[in-house]
Amino acid sequence: MRQNSIVPVIAYLVLGAGFVGIMESGAADVFLEATRPDFQKIPVGVLEFQSVMAPANAAERVAEVLKADLRRSQIFSVADLVKLGIKVDEKLELLDGAQLPLFKQAADNGVAALVWGKMATRDANLVLDGYVYDGGTAELLIGKRYVGAPSTLRVMAHRLADELVSRYTGEPGIARTKIAYASDQRGGREVFVMDYDGYAPRQVTADGFLNLTPEWSRDRRSLVFTAYRNRRNQTIDLIELATGKRRTLVALAGLNITPSLSPDGRYLAFATSQDGNSEIYTLDTRTNELQRLTFQAAGDLSPFWSPSGRELVFTSDRGGGPQIYLMNADGSNVRRLTFEGDYNAAPAWSPRGDWIAFVCRSQEGQFKLCLITPDGQKRLQITTGPGIDDSPSWSPDGRHLVFSSMVNGQSHIFMINRDGTEQERLTSGGTHHSSPSWSPA
Amino acid sequence: MDTHSRMAGLAAAVGLLLVLALGCSSKAIQTASDSSTEPGVSKEPRVSEQDLLGKSPSAPGQGRQSKDIAVAKVEPSDAARRHAEDIRRERVATAIAGIEDVFFGFDSWNISDEGKHALEVDAQWLKSNPEKMVTIEGHCDERGTQAYNLVLGEKRAKAVRNYLTELGVGTGGLTVTSYGKERPFCEGHDETCYQQNRRGHMTLRVR
Repeated sequence: MRQNSIVPVIAYLVLGAGFVGIMESGAADVFLEATRPDFQKIPVGVLEFQSVMAPANAAERVAEVLKADLRRSQIFSVADLVKLGIKVDEKLELLDGAQLPLFKQAADNGVAALVWGKMATRDANLVLDGYVYDGGTAELLIGKRYVGAPSTLRVMAHRLADELVSRYTGEPGIARTKIAYASDQRGGREVFVMDYDGYAPRQVTADGFLNLTPEWSRDRRSLVFTAYRNRRNQTIDLIELATGKRRTLVALAGLNITPSLSPDGRYLAFATSQDGNSEIYTLDTRTNELQRLTFQAAGDLSPFWSPSGRELVFTSDRGGGPQIYLMNADGSNVRRLTFEGDYNAAPAWSPRGDWIAFVCRSQEGQFKLCLITPDGQKRLQITTGPGIDDSPSWSPDGRHLVFSSMVNGQSHIFMINRDGTEQERLTSGGTHHSSPSWSPA
Repeated sequence: MDTHSRMAGLAAAVGLLLVLALGCSSKAIQTASDSSTEPGVSKEPRVSEQDLLGKSPSAPGQGRQSKDIAVAKVEPSDAARRHAEDIRRERVATAIAGIEDVFFGFDSWNISDEGKHALEVDAQWLKSNPEKMVTIEGHCDERGTQAYNLVLGEKRAKAVRNYLTELGVGTGGLTVTSYGKERPFCEGHDETCYQQNRRGHMTLRVR
């Protein structure tokens, strides 16, 4: 009796994962994931990819990138087919009905989907054919051909991974998102952009001095960042990534820091000290109109928009030490969110709306990452250890965070699941990589 | 408990098969080629995409794939070398003038008695050289967040400027800025170094 009643509930949850995706609750800035809390990862098997005169290891490499993407997605678990004894004939042209025993074998091992691919060369390009089959019925669900220069191998794998995620969840995947950050280079600290998995870093500025806290525009075409182009001028600039075109948005007297673009892209929230101490302003980028939101003798900084654009979360030391506060986008309805600990700063609102990540000081006196719900009801610390953690930024799917962590003066960028598991270092080499910001999907 | 979770797992698998059978079967996502280029865009190689099933669209998630993010290459510059040279020359000029820095306690921007003595010396020199321009840089130790340390550093720099003006130095030649924890003087990670890095650093502008 009891067991019978569970089945439809779970089936509903899983069906919800496919059809409903994200449901918006009408009232507040919170989006409920239809798949939670009982969501079970979908077991996927990645078969050995076939190489048709492709460069050495290209087929293996693309399969490895794909598997890493699928694992990171948190939607799928990747079954070890070799261990299960499931493999295809390497001369096979196409998986079809003739391989039914293979699909049955996979289904018997709980594999819900099988991925198979062929890597070939055409002219100077790589050609990847990616296929996704239902593990139970052997039906071909996805068939995609990607063509690109050899340097795009990882992008091809990311595309196929995103295809799986969007097919199974109705949400865009994150495998082709990027992370902007600041990194020491040739004596200056410059803005960089890298793939979400830490590959393919690209330098965006070459000012030779100090740039900080890049943040994405919603259309992913531009970054806004704190620029010390030299020691006399400190501004907030916008750079268009595809062209390198750059313009200054804010050049008020004093320190102009911590820019954040509104979800609709129209308003830039930032902190400036033109009034004597750091205050939060918004700039209407269409009219160039400035609006002052805070009026305090203390420091107000690090504004970050709620997903709806109706509210801002920010840091203020009006109560003594730095704490997290909320206010409406017009500066009204200010209330303090954090009360635990004497140091809470650098807030970032999850794109799903359900959590705000920030830097907290642990009981051991370490600067770690914490999460709090916007109503202040739930709070938890998700990192531990000796590193000085900073600048949390959410993945667009709300399942991961990136942040910087400094140990012995070396600062690197890490990815971590929202629940604090599976921490992964993204930067390698160099000594200082900081202020990461995850692009929209 | 075990039976329930096993049941849940089974049910999830069944549910999935349902999703696939009802929702996804025999439907294909048809995405237009993604290799379009905007004018003036960098030469980052693009990947083109073709649907091999070629059936009607409208599967869940259709159209949710966005374009690749294109990032232009930037030319390396020797700006860093020029900045470093400027800083070196200013440091020499500041040392020759005998202008001293001020140090602070943790999370504090109060000027200590020792700091006041240093600033009295600085004020004497500045009053006798009113044409000179000085930048007061606020600095912090590595603890805490980048952003909050920028604000803290500025508080330190402004506390220094305020004390100098109290001593009769004209504000015209004084500029304040903050580098937070971004440009430390001492690279160690203990209090010996931290106290070196919590400072109001005076730099005499050259030129």
